[in-house]
Amino acid sequence: MSDGGGSVSDGGGSNGGGTFSNNDAGSVSNSGGVTGALAADGVSFAYPAPRVGSCGVHGTRHDGTLKSVSLHLAPGSSTALMGSSGSGKSTLVRILLALAKPSAGTVALGAREVKPGPARSLRWYRQAVQYIPQNPAGSLDPRMTVSQLLREPLRQLRVAGNHRALVGEALERVEVPAGLLERRPGELSGGQNQRVAIARALAVQPAYLLADEPVSGLDLPLRDTVLSLLGNLVRQEGLGLLLVTHDLGTAARVCGTTAVMAHGRIVEHGPTYRVLDSPGSPEAAALVQASAALHYPPGLPAGAA
Amino acid sequence: MPGGTAFVKVTVSRVLALVALVVLIGMMPWLSGRGAEYTILRARYSDREPTPEALAAVRAELGLEQGPLPLFLSWIRGVFAGDLGTSWISNTPVAPGIASALSVSVTLMAFALAAAAIIALLLCTPAVMDGLRQRRRPASGALSAALTSLPEFLLAAMLLVAGAIWLRWFPPFGWKGPEYAVLPALSLGIPAGGLIGLLASDAIRAGFAEQWVATWRMSGAGPVRLTAAVLRRAMPAVLPQIGLVLIGLTGGAVAVEKVYAIPGLGRALLGAASAQDIPTLQAGMLALMGLALLVGTLTTAARYLLIGPAVRFGTLPLAEPPRPGNRRQLALPAAAGVALLLIVVAGLLRDPFTSDHARLAAPGWPLPFGADASGRDLLARVGHGAVGTLGMALVVVLACLAVGIAVGLFPLAAAGPVEVANAAPPILAGLVVAALIGPSAHGAAVAVAAVSWAPLAAHTAALAQEARAQAYVQILPVLGVGRARIMFRYVLPAVAWPLLRHAMLRLPGIALALAALGFLGLGPQQPTPEWGLILAEGIGYVERAPWAVLAPASALVLASVVAVGLAGAGHGARVSTGNTAGGVTLPGTDPVQAPEHVGTPGAR
Repeated sequence: MSDGGGSVSDGGGSNGGGTFSNNDAGSVSNSGGVTGALAADGVSFAYPAPRVGSCGVHGTRHDGTLKSVSLHLAPGSSTALMGSSGSGKSTLVRILLALAKPSAGTVALGAREVKPGPARSLRWYRQAVQYIPQNPAGSLDPRMTVSQLLREPLRQLRVAGNHRALVGEALERVEVPAGLLERRPGELSGGQNQRVAIARALAVQPAYLLADEPVSGLDLPLRDTVLSLLGNLVRQEGLGLLLVTHDLGTAARVCGTTAVMAHGRIVEHGPTYRVLDSPGSPEAAALVQASAALHYPPGLPAGAA
Repeated sequence: MPGGTAFVKVTVSRVLALVALVVLIGMMPWLSGRGAEYTILRARYSDREPTPEALAAVRAELGLEQGPLPLFLSWIRGVFAGDLGTSWISNTPVAPGIASALSVSVTLMAFALAAAAIIALLLCTPAVMDGLRQRRRPASGALSAALTSLPEFLLAAMLLVAGAIWLRWFPPFGWKGPEYAVLPALSLGIPAGGLIGLLASDAIRAGFAEQWVATWRMSGAGPVRLTAAVLRRAMPAVLPQIGLVLIGLTGGAVAVEKVYAIPGLGRALLGAASAQDIPTLQAGMLALMGLALLVGTLTTAARYLLIGPAVRFGTLPLAEPPRPGNRRQLALPAAAGVALLLIVVAGLLRDPFTSDHARLAAPGWPLPFGADASGRDLLARVGHGAVGTLGMALVVVLACLAVGIAVGLFPLAAAGPVEVANAAPPILAGLVVAALIGPSAHGAAVAVAAVSWAPLAAHTAALAQEARAQAYVQILPVLGVGRARIMFRYVLPAVAWPLLRHAMLRLPGIALALAALGFLGLGPQQPTPEWGLILAEGIGYVERAPWAVLAPASALVLASVVAVGLAGAGHGARVSTGNTAGGVTLPGTDPVQAPEHVGTPGAR
């Protein structure tokens, strides 16, 4: 992480002082021996000319471009990626996941460069970098059982070890009872499904986890559970986390550093408390203000520690 | 994917499909495996013995020895030089005969278009009236839908019985004056006008229901202005369908010209196919292809004029079957299905082959449907014919399903072949296949299958696109799942059931297409009991024994009512699932149905 880790701070106040650590020395348990920083360097991206006719999921879109973005993640550190819709967050995540090819710049894990390609050539990377999508519950095939869902990446990525044990361990971490193994997503609650999707990402024991609004749409107690789970993974197991979020509270709760994106650039990048307390860019200031207004009714002192 | 690439892919695919079609036509002499030299020797030199030397001489004369490519090149060179070749049978140039037959057919089609326009106008008027009076009514009824979707050969036979035999208002056969064109024009125009009218009135009703109409009304737009605006809004969606219906007329014209003995292109092609006069068939197919391209270009141009260059491709969507609006309107198809089942069961218990009844015996208690010209039990023949026709249709449907799925998973590259297959009438495909391998049941099946997979391919493409857009498929690359596994383990299972259901709904329609080929003598031969064949046999005796026509005709009418009902039911189910689920799987719903969405691009 370019800003350096190790900063321990009081979380800016809005969530009542969640403490977190940014521990570079965390133990990375896994991933075929691949370690080192996950780095995007000078990445640019432009969506092609609007598609005519059929509108797919990535239909006509003008925003979401990137202009020479650099972002470094380290094991055991957690970074919040914030910004308004269309600022380029999702595009950056797609490029980090090697799902989209940047028009310029590189993505590398350790010393190895990563490019989109056939599934076989990316196995090592997929095992090291996993993803929790927005609406994780929707990312579960309704025809498959929980057991099948969790085993699929283990089998496809040729993960070493006892898959049954890995599945059990991952489910235990997210507090899903093993009795649900043979259920299908339609037979589980929304919160259970969401935790299954998180367990699927954790089961391959990645070094990095990219999470796109993983708690939006969850009720508050469940949100709390999931966020503390992610926080624990970073602190205790040395996971590197990139958390895409709209919500400063979430960022403050889990992430030591925060990057703010606007118009395809990273306009601010630093320790979360600093971004919260003294935002250095108008976009970050607007985010802080909007977030505070959400959490406190007008009239109360926003952001007071 | 960049829009430019998609457009290029579709264009390339279209051009390739057309080129492939021309090459296919050009290579027909070489593809014709029926021993062309025998045919020609018999036709031209009846005095010569079919010795190997004589046959070799004929082959050399036709240029069959030089192989497919030189054969094709010399043919295409001739076409560009205005020489369409020489008839294998009469040894005279093909072009003049084709030209005069084409002019007859075009005249007939003009009459048919006039009839279709009148019928379509009649069907659209209530929709406009309702719209102007701000009444909302369900879309057009099932009965009119069923009546207007009778296949042309069947309607021609029925109108012949009614208009020329019973009422004696019109001459039954020939082509000598305008009165000769009335019944043929109605036979072609009623189904065409009915389909256009139903599609247009649905579009008009939908147009009047839109928000902006209320705004216009409040700002004082008069009825004329409002109607014009709604028509301008509704027509672009219907125009490509109209184009398809017009192209489809060329296939229907073959049957109608046969029934009324009109010396048009269709009848000329039918004669050429059965006599194996390949050059005549080639020239006729080329003429029809030109006609189809002209119609397609004109409708696309009309669309451009109406809505501007917003349309780039996807301009020729699939024919959308007319549909009943609600469940109540399924009562008629259900009743027809039960009646058909009773006829089939009763007929299966009887003997369709032995001639132990009086020739053309009238219907009565021992023979409910009467007997045919050979004294065979018509009820038995109709019943057994159902099994043969529907059995063959089932095989065709499954073949179409396989081709449709394979093609539909690559929608852009397949755009051209889909359009060609979709526009090509089964009867024309049947003519080509019959000329190449001889008229037979499996030839007819191949011909119908060759042009019937397109709707299934389009549905596959739509469903697969929907399935690929699901969050649970989008994440798969991150989980290390490769493209092949995504396709076969995830996308295919999601689309399989809706497609199988769609395919089964097409069964009666395909049975009717097979019957049309049987009727024209391009399908199974005597003494097979096949609906189209039974109808063709009966039509010669229509004045003495109308029941010989009525028995197979009523079975076919029942089958078309069922076909339309099923097509409508399938459509309704698709639309309602698409609206409620919208790709989101609700807990407790059948997960297989979730990705199902509007099937035909025509519904966009």
